Amino acid sequence: MTSEMPGGYAGKILRIDLTNERVWTQELPPEELRRYVGGTGLGAKILYEEVPPNVNWDDPENRLILATGPLAGSPIWGTGTLSVVTAGAMTNGGTSTQANGFFGASIKYSGYDAIVLQGKAKDWVYVYIKDDVVELRDARHLLGKDTWEMQEALYDEYGLSGHQLSVYGIGPAGEKLVRFAIILGDYGHAASKNGCGAVMGSKNVKCVAIVRGTKPLRIHDPAGMYAAAEEISWDLKNDPSTQGLYNWGTLGGVANGVPMGTAPVKNYTTNIWPEPEKLALYEAPAIRARFPHRGHQCNGCGMNHCHMFVMPEGPYKGQLVDEPEYEGLSGCGSALGVIDSMQTTWLNTQVDKAGVDVNEWGWAAGWVIECLEKGHLTPEQVGFDIKWGDAEGINKLLQLVAKREGFGDILGEGTMRASKKIGGEAAKCAIYIEKGPSPRGHDHRSRWTEMLDAAVGSAGTIETGPLIRPTELGLPARQNPFDPDEVASSTAIALGRRHFEDSLGSCMFTTRTYLEYVCRALNAVTGWDYTKEEAMEMGKRVAVLFRAFNIRRGIGTELEKPSARYGSIPVDGPAQGQNVMAHWDYMRQKWYDMVGFDIETGKPKIETLRKYGLDHIIPDLYEAEPASHAR
Amino acid sequence: MPDNTTNPAAKTATTAGLRVTIEAVAWITKFVGGDGTERINFDETAQPGDNIRTVLKKLSGKYPQLREALWDPDNPREIGEHVEIIVNDAFLGVDHTLDSEIKDGDRISLIGQFMGG
Repeated sequence: MTSEMPGGYAGKILRIDLTNERVWTQELPPEELRRYVGGTGLGAKILYEEVPPNVNWDDPENRLILATGPLAGSPIWGTGTLSVVTAGAMTNGGTSTQANGFFGASIKYSGYDAIVLQGKAKDWVYVYIKDDVVELRDARHLLGKDTWEMQEALYDEYGLSGHQLSVYGIGPAGEKLVRFAIILGDYGHAASKNGCGAVMGSKNVKCVAIVRGTKPLRIHDPAGMYAAAEEISWDLKNDPSTQGLYNWGTLGGVANGVPMGTAPVKNYTTNIWPEPEKLALYEAPAIRARFPHRGHQCNGCGMNHCHMFVMPEGPYKGQLVDEPEYEGLSGCGSALGVIDSMQTTWLNTQVDKAGVDVNEWGWAAGWVIECLEKGHLTPEQVGFDIKWGDAEGINKLLQLVAKREGFGDILGEGTMRASKKIGGEAAKCAIYIEKGPSPRGHDHRSRWTEMLDAAVGSAGTIETGPLIRPTELGLPARQNPFDPDEVASSTAIALGRRHFEDSLGSCMFTTRTYLEYVCRALNAVTGWDYTKEEAMEMGKRVAVLFRAFNIRRGIGTELEKPSARYGSIPVDGPAQGQNVMAHWDYMRQKWYDMVGFDIETGKPKIETLRKYGLDHIIPDLYEAEPASHAR
Repeated sequence: MPDNTTNPAAKTATTAGLRVTIEAVAWITKFVGGDGTERINFDETAQPGDNIRTVLKKLSGKYPQLREALWDPDNPREIGEHVEIIVNDAFLGVDHTLDSEIKDGDRISLIGQFMGG
C-alpha cells in the first residue's frame, strides 16, 4: 500500500465537538483508505472505533458521521452523495443511509472527506462551513421551521441558493426526536433511515450548511475518469434495464408494482388496486405530464430524475413540490389508499418538510387508518377520524407527529413501538421488523429477499436491496421471488455491493451498472487497481463491521423476524397464498451459513472476521460481554 | 408493429388455435413500438404442445429490442435480468415455468424489473 494520499480524497476529516465548541481536522490515514474507501465504509470504521456499546443513540457520545467518498465532486454522474452513519434511533444500532444532491460534493470542495459531530450543543446551533471557516452559529431563529423553510431562510441570510449553499438538516420532527426523523437537504434529498434526524436533534443541531467550496479536486487519471464516466452514462442511458430509470427515475414504480403485487396497498390488507381504471394516474409519463416541472438533478448528473413540480390546480395551486421517488408514491400513496397521484405528490412533500421517513410514515399512517376502520382505535384516541385516501386527514396526523402532540406523540415512536403500546387487535395490524428498522416501501410478501434483508441487516435498513446485474455475481439472471434457496443465496451473495457503492460518494441509481465499470471509475480517480472481487470483499468487510457493532450492543438474532402483518400471507394478487413464514427459519439459516455468521449468537465467525481482515475486533466479540440492548 | 396511439388495450388479432394474450406493461411497451406507457396486448395463437417459452420466443422474434431485453444473453433459453413475467396473475415459478404448456386463454404479462428508492 502506498502512504501517499490516493486521488479523489481531500485527505481530512472535519471534527466538531459540540459540547466543548471545538473544531479541528484529522488527517485521513492513506493506508486504511483502500480497505474502507469512504462514505459508509469510512463511517462504519469511525463508528465502531469511537462509539462504545453502552452509548445509546441519544447519548452525546454517539457520533453523527456525514461522509462522502472518492468519486464525490467528480464529473461522474450522481456524485454529490452523502452517507450518514450513526447509532440510529429506530434500532439503537448501526446506520448507513444516503442522500444525494450536492452536499457530498460540497464537503469535498471544502477540503474534507467527512464531518464527524460528537457531543451536544448547549443550545440549538447550525454548523456553517465555508472552506476553512467552520463555525457553530445560533439556530434559534430556525427552530420550528420545516426542512424547506430552513434552507430558504439560510439562502436569504447568505444570499446564496441552489448548489451554492447546501443545507442538510432536520424539520420539526427531528427537533422533537421523532424516532423516524430524517436529515434532508437540497429540497428533496433525504438520509431517511434509522432516525438519523433524531440523532441530529439530540445533539441540538438544526442543520449543516456548506457553501460550495473552492478547494481543488485531485484526480489520478483525468482522461481515464472521463472515459469511465462516459462508459457508465452510456450504459445507464441505453441498457434495457436502466432506460426507464434514465428517463423517469423511479416514478413508474407503483404502476409497475401493482400487477406484480410488490406495491403495498392499504397497509398490506390487499394487493388489488382500489380503482383499477385509475392506476394509469401512477404511470411515470402521466405523473410528469400533470405538473409544470423542471429538472433538479444532483451533482454532475445527466439522468432525467429528481425533478421539481408546481402544483397545477386545487387548493395548493402554485406550491412547489418535489417529484416523488417510488417510495414516496408508495408511502404517501398506495399504502394509504391515495388514488390520485397529484394528492400523493403533495403529501410526499409535506412528509419531507416535516422531516420524517416516508417508508415508516406509510406504515404508521396506514396502521392508524386501518385500526380506525376496524375499530381497534377510536377517533377520540387519535383526535379525529381518517379514511383511506384522505390526504388532508393524513397530513393532519403528520403534523401531530412532527410536533409530538396528542396521538402524534405515541406515533412519533414509530409503528412498532406505537402498536405495542396500544396492543390488542391493533398490534396485529402493524408492519415492522422486531429489530426496529422500517421496511422499505414495497410489499415484501411478494419480494422475500427484501424482507429477509430487512431482518438480518445491521445498518438500519435493507443492506443488499434488489439485485443489480445478478449474473456478474454468479447468480442466475432471474430469481424466483418465492424460492427459499434463491432468496437466501441471492441476499447473501449480493451482501457488500451496496456497502461498496455507498462508500464511493455516488448515487445508487448511477452505480446501477456493471461493477466492473464502477471499479474502472474508482481506479481512474484514485490510482488503485480495484476489481469487482475486491469491491465485494470491501463491501462485505463493512457489512461485517456493522454486524459486530450491533452484536456488541446486544442486538440479538431473536429480533430478526417480521411482525404478524408484515409476514402474513397475501389474500389476493400475484402472491396470493404465498407463505414466507413457512420458509423463514430455513432462509435465515441458509443466509447465516453463506455469510459466515453464527445463527445462535449472531456473531460473525472468527474465520469470517479473519477473512475480511478484521482480526483486531475478535476480542471485542469473543471475550467481552455485550451491552444490554437499551432502546 | 402495433398501433397504440389510440387504445392499445383494445388491440386484437385472434385466429384459430389456443388463444394466449401477451401484455407488455408500461416501460416494456418501448420494446414493442410503444412509448413506455399504458399497455399493449398481443393476442397470439399457440399450437397444442407450445409452452410459455415458445410463445414468448415467437413474439420477441418480431421485436429485436424485446428480444434483447427479455432473454439472458448468456443463456437465451432463459429469462434475463430485466423483465418480470406474470402468468395468469401469478409470478412465473408459482404455477407455471417457461416449460409449462399453454392453455387456451392464458395471459402473460411482461413487466419491467423495477428497483425502488
